[in-house]
Amino acid sequence: MGFFFHIGRYFALLKRVFAKPEKHKMYFRQLFHEIDSLGVNSVWIVVIISVFIGGIMTIQFAYSMSNPIYPRDLIGFGTRDTLILEFSSTMLALIMAGKMGSNITSEIGTMRVTEQIDSLEIMGVNSASYLILPKIVAVVLIFPFLFIMSVFFGILGGLFTGPLAGVVTVPEFIQGLKFAFVPYYITFSIIKSLVFGFLVASVPAYFGYYVQGGALEVGKASTKAVVNTNILVLFFDLILTRLLLT
Amino acid sequence: MITLKNVYKSFDGNEVLKDISTSFEPGKTNLIIGRSGSGKTVLLKSILGLFEVDRGEIWYNDRDFTKISEKERKFLRKEIGMVFQGGALFDSINVEGNVRFPLDMFTEMSSAEKNKRVEFCLDHVNIEKQAFKLSPSEISGGMQKRVAIARAIALNPKYLFCDEPNSGLDPETATVIDKLIQALTKEFQMTTIINTHDMNSVIEIGESVLFISKGHKEWVGTKHEILDSGNQKLDDFIFANKLYAQMKGK
Repeated sequence: MGFFFHIGRYFALLKRVFAKPEKHKMYFRQLFHEIDSLGVNSVWIVVIISVFIGGIMTIQFAYSMSNPIYPRDLIGFGTRDTLILEFSSTMLALIMAGKMGSNITSEIGTMRVTEQIDSLEIMGVNSASYLILPKIVAVVLIFPFLFIMSVFFGILGGLFTGPLAGVVTVPEFIQGLKFAFVPYYITFSIIKSLVFGFLVASVPAYFGYYVQGGALEVGKASTKAVVNTNILVLFFDLILTRLLLT
Repeated sequence: MITLKNVYKSFDGNEVLKDISTSFEPGKTNLIIGRSGSGKTVLLKSILGLFEVDRGEIWYNDRDFTKISEKERKFLRKEIGMVFQGGALFDSINVEGNVRFPLDMFTEMSSAEKNKRVEFCLDHVNIEKQAFKLSPSEISGGMQKRVAIARAIALNPKYLFCDEPNSGLDPETATVIDKLIQALTKEFQMTTIINTHDMNSVIEIGESVLFISKGHKEWVGTKHEILDSGNQKLDDFIFANKLYAQMKGK
C-alpha cells in the first residue's frame, strides 16, 4: 500500500509543480541559479570521473582482447560505444543521483523542517512549483550537456591512457573510434539523459518536500531519495533500451 | 477582524481542537495562550489554512476561508504576514533579499521603490544598514525574529500571525519583540494573533487573551482581567508560569 501511496503523492506533487508560475521572472532567476548550482558545479566531477573511467575501460578492453585474432582497433570502438550507450548516460545518472539528488533532498527537506516552505505557502507562493520546477528544468537541460562532455572526456582519457599503458597506439585507437559509428546511439543516449535528468531532480525533490521531523529525518530522506532514484534510473534504462534499441 | 465559529480539528481520530468559537479584533494584539500541546499551533495553522479544519468556519472579515476557492485563498494570503517560531528566513538569500522577496513576487514596483520599502520595513524593526547584506545565519536570534517581522509587514498585511515570536530569546529581547509587534499592530491597524506560553508577553501586550486547554476554549479576556478569571486551569497555568519566572529570577 505504501508503494501506491508514494506513487499517488508523487504525481499529485508533479501536478502542483507544473502549475502556472506566479511570476515568470522569479522562476527564471531561480532557474539560472539552479543551472549554476546543480549543473556548473557538477562539471569537474563529470570530467574527472569520465577521464578515469575512459582510461580504465581502454585498458580493460585491451586485456580482454589480448588474443591476436582481434584487431586492436576494437579497443577504441568498444570504449566509444560503451561510453555512449551506457556509461555517460546511465552510470553518470547514478553518480549524479548521489550528488545532485542528495543536494536537492537536503535543501528542500531543510526548508520543510525549518518552516521555510510553510512561509512560502502563507505568502501565497506555490512552494512546490517555485522550489521544484526550476530544479527539474535545470537538471533536464544540463544532463545532455553533461552526457556529451562525459563521452568527450572519456574518449580523451582512453586516448591518453591506452598509448601510455602500451596497450594500443594512437592511430589504432582513433581508427577504432571511427569504425562502425551509429549516430542513432547518440540520439538514444540523449533521450535517456532527458528521462534520467527528470528522475534525478523530481524523485529527490519529492522525498525532500514531504520530509517530517528534524535533521535526522532529512538525512534519512536523502538516503532514501538516492536509493530510489538509482532503482528508477536502472528500471527506466531497461525499458528505454528495450523500446528504443531492440 | 477574524472570527472562528465552532472549529474542530483532529489528527488520526485524536481531536486537537474542539468547538473553538472566538473573534480577533483589528488594531489589537490578540494572544492565544496555553500549555505546550494544548492546540495553540494547530489553531494558528488552521486559521492560516495550513491545516484544513474538520468542521466550523473561519471568517476573514466577510470571507469564509473554509469555503473560498484555492485561487481566492492565494489572493487572501497576500493580506497575511506570518512570523514563525524559528524565523523561517530563507537561508539562500541575505537579510535584504528576505524582505524584498514578497515584493519581487507579488508587486510591480520598480527597483528603487522596492529598495525604499525594504529600508522602511527594516528600519521599523531597528535593523541597521550594516546588517542588510548579511545572511540569516550571520545574525542573532533576536535579529532574525525582527527580520522575519520586517518580511511579514513588507506587503502591508491586514493580518499578522506570530507563532511564539519570543521563544529562545532572553527576557529583554523578548520584551523588545513584543513591544515591536504591538507598535506595528497599532500603526498599521492590523489584526494580530500571537501564539505564546510566556506570561511576560501577556502582561506586556495582552489586549485580548484567549486561553485554550486540551483543544477547548477555556477563557477570553484582557490582561487586566486574567488574575480574576475564576478559571482553575488558567490559574494553574499562570501559577506555573510565575513559579518558572521566579526560578529564572533566582
